[in-house]
Amino acid sequence: METTSYLPLLIVVSSLIPGMLILLLREEQIALRTILNLAGAVAKVALIWWVFLGYMRGEEYTFVYALSPNLSFTLKIDQLGILFATLSAILWLVTTLYAIGYLEGGSNRRRFFAFFSLCVTASTGIAMSGNLITFFVFYELLTLATYPLVVHRGTEKAVKAGLTYLWYTIGGGSVLFLGVVGLFVIAGPMYFGDVDTIAGLMEENKVILTILFFVILTGLSVKAAIFPLHGWLPVSMVAPAPVSALLHAVAVVKAGAFGIVRLVYDVYGIELADEMSFLTPLAILAAFTILYGSFRALFQNDFKRRLAFSTVSQLSYIALGVAIPGVLSSTGAIVHLVHQGLMKITMFFVAGNIAETYGYYKISQLNGIGRLMPWTMTAFTVAALGMIGLPPIAGFVSKWYLSLGAIEAGSYWVVFVLLGSSALNAAYFLPIVYRAWFLEPDENVKPLQKIGRFETKLLLLVPVVITAILSLTAGIFASVPGSPLFLAREIAEKLYLP
Amino acid sequence: MIWLAVIVLPLLLAFLLLRLESSQRISGPLFFVATLPALIVALGDFEGIRIDWLLLETHFDLDTPRRILLILTSILWATASLFAGFYIKERQREFAVYFGGAMAGNFGLLIAADVPGFYTFFALMTFASYGLVVHSRTKAARRAGRIYLVMAIFGELFLITALYLAVNRADSFLLADLGPAIAEDPYGVWIFLIGLIGFGVKVGAIPLYFWLPLAHPVAPTPASAVLSGAMIKAGLVGWMHLAPVGLVEWPAIALLMMVLGFTAALGAVLVGLAQVDPKTNLAYSSISQMGLMTALLGMGMSGNIPPELLLPALALYAFNHGTAKALLFLGTALPGAVGGIWRIVMWAGLVIGVLAIAGAPLTGGLWTKYFLKTFLGEVALPGSALMLQLLTISAIATTLLLGRFLFLLGRIKAPETKNPPPYLFPWIILIFAGGWWTLNSVLLPFELADHVTKGNSLAHFFFSFGTIWDSFWPVALGAALLIATQKWKVLNRWPTAEPIIPPGDFLVFLLNSWGSFIRMGKKLRPQSWFLHFEHPDRKLYGIVRGSRTKKFSLGAEDLLRRWEVVGICFILLFMILFLILR
Repeated sequence: METTSYLPLLIVVSSLIPGMLILLLREEQIALRTILNLAGAVAKVALIWWVFLGYMRGEEYTFVYALSPNLSFTLKIDQLGILFATLSAILWLVTTLYAIGYLEGGSNRRRFFAFFSLCVTASTGIAMSGNLITFFVFYELLTLATYPLVVHRGTEKAVKAGLTYLWYTIGGGSVLFLGVVGLFVIAGPMYFGDVDTIAGLMEENKVILTILFFVILTGLSVKAAIFPLHGWLPVSMVAPAPVSALLHAVAVVKAGAFGIVRLVYDVYGIELADEMSFLTPLAILAAFTILYGSFRALFQNDFKRRLAFSTVSQLSYIALGVAIPGVLSSTGAIVHLVHQGLMKITMFFVAGNIAETYGYYKISQLNGIGRLMPWTMTAFTVAALGMIGLPPIAGFVSKWYLSLGAIEAGSYWVVFVLLGSSALNAAYFLPIVYRAWFLEPDENVKPLQKIGRFETKLLLLVPVVITAILSLTAGIFASVPGSPLFLAREIAEKLYLP
Repeated sequence: MIWLAVIVLPLLLAFLLLRLESSQRISGPLFFVATLPALIVALGDFEGIRIDWLLLETHFDLDTPRRILLILTSILWATASLFAGFYIKERQREFAVYFGGAMAGNFGLLIAADVPGFYTFFALMTFASYGLVVHSRTKAARRAGRIYLVMAIFGELFLITALYLAVNRADSFLLADLGPAIAEDPYGVWIFLIGLIGFGVKVGAIPLYFWLPLAHPVAPTPASAVLSGAMIKAGLVGWMHLAPVGLVEWPAIALLMMVLGFTAALGAVLVGLAQVDPKTNLAYSSISQMGLMTALLGMGMSGNIPPELLLPALALYAFNHGTAKALLFLGTALPGAVGGIWRIVMWAGLVIGVLAIAGAPLTGGLWTKYFLKTFLGEVALPGSALMLQLLTISAIATTLLLGRFLFLLGRIKAPETKNPPPYLFPWIILIFAGGWWTLNSVLLPFELADHVTKGNSLAHFFFSFGTIWDSFWPVALGAALLIATQKWKVLNRWPTAEPIIPPGDFLVFLLNSWGSFIRMGKKLRPQSWFLHFEHPDRKLYGIVRGSRTKKFSLGAEDLLRRWEVVGICFILLFMILFLILR
């Protein structure tokens, strides 16, 4: 493989450089920092847009930097990568806006934004990694870049949560390392998409390749929060709202899910994985996680904790879709990578808005909040209905393809899992919607600070409206060329070409 | 573009009215305008279209039965819009949002020809009408809303399962392909049964109806009218899409639907007679009439009735019932508001509505009831002769039930004023939109008319002594029975203040009997363990929020949080699963 373009590198660097520069700034250079941040975010979106258009025209973008004869740092744009990179870039831009508004007047913002940029660098790196080694590098970078964000508040609780987070992710990382190195020894530098290599080696190394599959899967499952490795996720919601939003939508958890997608589709290959029946254990654990997460969410009164358990559940949709062979379920899994991100980031923004504006953290405090914050709660309602799987919101499209895929594969039990999860989703999201719109607010409730013309600070309101609109349009315009579904369908169809 | 306008206009209006400070005077006529594209599409002959960019490729199209239902639906929403514009006094903006949403959903599900589109609009209607049910925010409305929502989600889960399965079998997203695919599939019966349950919630079929007499009456009057007149038919549309009428011979399913249908037709009347609230009385009448429609569709599953005849007949039956039922529902707002000479118009309209549903001579109801009779005579199923008798009895029973409804309205005190309320006028329009339209050659397929009249002309059939007498005597008997109960004290057992059977009958019965069971247990053994189940929901929350659970679950989570435990277990778990399953 040879370098054909430096664009992939530029995309990664477009957030790395602002991040580094921000570290050099002083804490009170707010304007400059904001400009750097936004310039990086906008540049990244523009670059990805450029690459996206080029890719649609059929151009190739590969960047290779050889580390040793058969080990290279490779960035490559393929369909799956561009889908995930676009999601990261857009949501990063939105979250940057949100974070600027959210952290206004807070302390240590320099550190925050620096690592925030680093975190996105890692997640776009993960998206565009061309081989397993590159993937692993960015994957671990993400772990380290996120830690300062989780403990940002510096409270005892935050530090404790950070510790848990590190335990899990470093642990998961070391297991992953074991697997990646093992695979490297046997199969060489695994370029993504090159599924014939493993298939060729399968005969001779059946046992070791099987073990390596599960070892790598275990490493990835930590970030993908598959039961019983989900424990860090509900704990680390002590992080500030924009961090939780990014963590639950594109960064950490999605890196895990994306890794699983890569492992099955682009390393081992879906055909081989199915043939070797690697997928059924994954399907069972994912299905269990879906129900378990939903069930736990039911009992949380803390708004963000309920959302966190909901993420545990929703993420496993992706793993479940991957675990069922067939074009339809693969489409569902890949498209849910995007859809879950859009909907969940909206919900975390909403939780942040309410906490920032009225100081409410508990669901039982939300009576009549729709009256006070109509735009915010409309956004939440859209996202919640989407999570339940109601059309025309994005979540419906994912569920539609996952369910049809399951039926096609003859796995009828999966449909029950998905329906059960829909019912549970309704049971824990609709009460919030009901409280917000159909109960009366407390009469003497006042915002924490003056909020001006809108229901909350504009910088908090705009991102939530944008992501809600994206969740809605991803569903309504699902068939438009260039939509997440369109891309997912193309990727999935390519996977099963004879 | 007219197809899109049908759904976009109501949605747009719902959104705009929320943003603008609207006064009630404009929102009624505006919503009226929003119903016009639907009426135009229904009456005009537009070619179906495919919209590539909407959802998963949306198709809009109409066939004869859905065209008939769309005319019904647009007429009802149009009148209800005007009515609501004058009638709704509080929370108008919120009402407008839910009203517009439900309207768009109801139109959309009729014109949609693909499964995702149909399901989208069905769900939109279902969830938007929750806002209509709880509009008054009273305790009763919230309770009804809760039961409505739980049942609606229950139904959604079943119907989406049926749709998934059917789409898989048909290998097509088009609704028209579902029926044939179900007919061919060896497990088609089961797919249809799942759909029967899913859409049965909306239809109010036995045993899924109990939310209906709670939810339909508590909504504001114009909303009740569209709920019971138009939206209830959405379930029927779902059934019609899934039912492979004429393609299969499923005598068991046919019998099941017919038995359930006739049980509803007669049973709902009995419970309805025990009510004191006129709107609840009407809700039970809706269940009863939907029962007859269930039976009619069931006949189609017996094999020898062609769908070109049966489905339009079903739609026309729905048309007659829908217009008349909406007339009566809207009519419940009138006796307390209409004074002077206008009361004559009011009573005349109400009586027409009652006669139309009961199937009296010279009404559309007579005609649509004859469909039932004709097809029932043709199905070769055991018990169909008995059902013919039951049909006559149901006409008597319906007259009795709706006569009782008129009596209940009569108890409402007339106002002092001589001026009619403004919402009387849209109501009068609705009288003219009644069931006679079902005789219109635009709506009535020629073959169907020919089939039912056995080749005679419509007029000849309609004015023949035989038909008139056949339909007259059950209605007369029902009326006579009602008068007799009022005349002689011995027979006058009507409830006056409280219903004999609470609305929502068997659900309430279940909940009550649970309560009395617990109370009895309390007396006998005050310390017994099963007293924990007095309020199962509270107990659940007690367990969930209890300190012991918290400690336990935190402990469990802590254990899970120890990497060495989890990591090793996880790999082992994976490997074990792999070894077992491969």
